Amino acid sequence: MKLVVCLKQVPATTAEKRYTADLRLDRAAAEAVINPLDEYAIEQALRLQESGAVDAVSFLSMGPEQSAEALRRALAMGGDDATLVTDPALAGADAWATARVLAAALDRLAPDVALMGMASDDARGSLVPGAVAAIRGVPLLSYGSELRIEGSMARVRRLTASGFNVVEAPLPVVASVTDQVGEPRYASLKGIMAAKRKPMETWSLADLGLSAADLRGAALTRVIEARKPEAKPPTERVENMSPDEAVTRIVDWLAARKLVS
Amino acid sequence: MSIDIALLAEFSDGSPSRSALELAAGAAELARQSGGAAVALAYGPGATGAASLGAAGAARAVVLGDGAAPAVTHAMAASAAVRELAPLAVLAPATPNGRDLAAALVGLLGLPAFGPVRAVRIEGGRVRTEQATLQGTVITVSEPAEGAPEPAIVLLLPSTFTPIEGGSGSAAVAQAPDSQPGAFGTVRIVESHPAEAAVANLEEATIIVAGGRGVGSAEGFAPLRELAAVLGGAVGASRAAADAGWVPYQLQIGQTGKVVKPALYVGCGISGAIQHRVGMQTAENVLAINKDPDAPIGEFADLFVVGDLFIIVPKLTAEIRRRKGI
Ligand SMILES: Cc1cc2nc3c(=O)[nH]c(=O)nc-3n(C[C@H](O)[C@H](O)[C@H](O)COP(=O)(O)OP(=O)(O)OC[C@H]3O[C@@H](n4cnc5c(N)ncnc54)[C@H](O)[C@@H]3O)c2cc1C
Ligand SMILES: Nc1ncnc2c1ncn2[C@@H]1O[C@H](COP(=O)(O)O)[C@@H](O)[C@H]1O
Repeated sequence: MKLVVCLKQVPATTAEKRYTADLRLDRAAAEAVINPLDEYAIEQALRLQESGAVDAVSFLSMGPEQSAEALRRALAMGGDDATLVTDPALAGADAWATARVLAAALDRLAPDVALMGMASDDARGSLVPGAVAAIRGVPLLSYGSELRIEGSMARVRRLTASGFNVVEAPLPVVASVTDQVGEPRYASLKGIMAAKRKPMETWSLADLGLSAADLRGAALTRVIEARKPEAKPPTERVENMSPDEAVTRIVDWLAARKLVS
Repeated sequence: MSIDIALLAEFSDGSPSRSALELAAGAAELARQSGGAAVALAYGPGATGAASLGAAGAARAVVLGDGAAPAVTHAMAASAAVRELAPLAVLAPATPNGRDLAAALVGLLGLPAFGPVRAVRIEGGRVRTEQATLQGTVITVSEPAEGAPEPAIVLLLPSTFTPIEGGSGSAAVAQAPDSQPGAFGTVRIVESHPAEAAVANLEEATIIVAGGRGVGSAEGFAPLRELAAVLGGAVGASRAAADAGWVPYQLQIGQTGKVVKPALYVGCGISGAIQHRVGMQTAENVLAINKDPDAPIGEFADLFVVGDLFIIVPKLTAEIRRRKGI
């Protein structure tokens, strides 16, 4: 049983972010991390490996060369090997181009489960897992708060409007998991040392049998304007008052906005 | 040239979901801008009654499938319908089901995708979207690249459009063109565990009283429920409160929970972490009650009350009752 976790390197949530002159995110200017939600997918994969449900765990990322750091960090958490797909033609790739490239790489790696995070911090579409499943012609099990493998089936627990369902599909599948699978582990010092010796391959578009033309310029969308959000009025602070005075102020504030009658 | 605007309309328990009503109103508005018609792609239990979406703004409806099968099982039918209709845009709700179907369309048809967006319009026959990115620190306006295939797939945040009230008319209903369900058709629900007690749909609430780790326990939510009741609102939570098991995950607000846009959000014992903030920052009015004067929520609340929620919240409920005379 083979599982590949797809992970993306993104600017840290807290990092200062900047746009380049052509309105793309300036990735060089921001501290880069593993997409936080992908760490939950890694955690789920490693738990499946530890329980014996999965034999091999590999990592796959598409991105600039420095994304190798994110793969190395994933390998320090555990797993066996990693593949980076990197190519100048992929700069600014959108959901469709990303999915097309990941699908081609997954065709090569041929895992039973391709596991993804529920969303990337920067694109936030949650579109890549479903688009990869569609391109590969395999079922999608998305938004799992737990992933299990039982015989030739994969199953996820998925929230509904009021409770949850268990949803299943025959292997091979593309799955995505949420931050409810359990807190991601930290890499140990031993893990960091071990990661240095784990195999990592780098593939170009040509290695995947794809050309820049196949990707139609990497993005079918373009940003035409980037600006700061509208400034909000400053916060009114209610402090150093008695609770009764504070409550009077709150109710007056609510009444002025017609939120209480 | 394509001018029609399609929307994904989810049905549950025999009626259109809130998102279907919002998107039907949105598609009708965009169709006026493009000179086309709003067409609903209806799926889920009750979708055969999609004619009712006429009153919500849809001129036509195509039924992808009835029944309780996972939304993604309708992907091939959706793709066949989109190919036949050739719309300018497909509006999809930024919900798990809406995103699954939208993603399948992107993959199957190789389409440009936008969002989740907070605004969309048609300008000179082109789709233009407005999106808050990078945790809300930047607003970007995007459009399909020159020569990109149509339609554009647009994910919409809840409450971007307001359902049409008191509309009339019925949508002309057609069946989706024949298609094979393919691999997506093998996805099945094998167990269903509904909750014992009803859970509010936060995306519909106009007032939300949310509790965080500072609430301390499941019982601690009682005063928040009372405040929500006098205000006519619903109770929400931070991930810390949901993780602790004090409230169900359906009430979690934030990056991995619900994105809400109420008229009033009241945060009690919530610090205002960025992952929480992205779920509530478009609330019209934000009131925060926190005993830490330096809590980050104090930097973006409209009214920031420094105090103990267990003292302030019950007094607030009592004072509102007193003024209302109840
Ligand atoms: C990938 C990822 C996704 C996440 N997604 C979400 C998400 O969707 N939603 C979400 O909410 N979080 C999310 N988080 C978690 C988020 O980072 C914070 O940890 C979480 O929001 C904190 O919840 P809190 O504000 O309730 O708790 P805390 O940060 O612990 O804050 C508790 C607050 O309560 C105050 N307090 C304590 N007692 C009282 C009292 N008696 N009266 C008044 N105030 C009091 C304290 O001063 C403090 O400010 C996510 C994190 C990650 C990594
Ligand atoms: N460039 C990428 N490389 C590898 N995996 C990715 C990439 N982009 C997205 N993914 C995967 O797809 C998931 C959803 O991303 P998104 O659709 O961008 O929100 C992420 O959590 C990752 O698991």
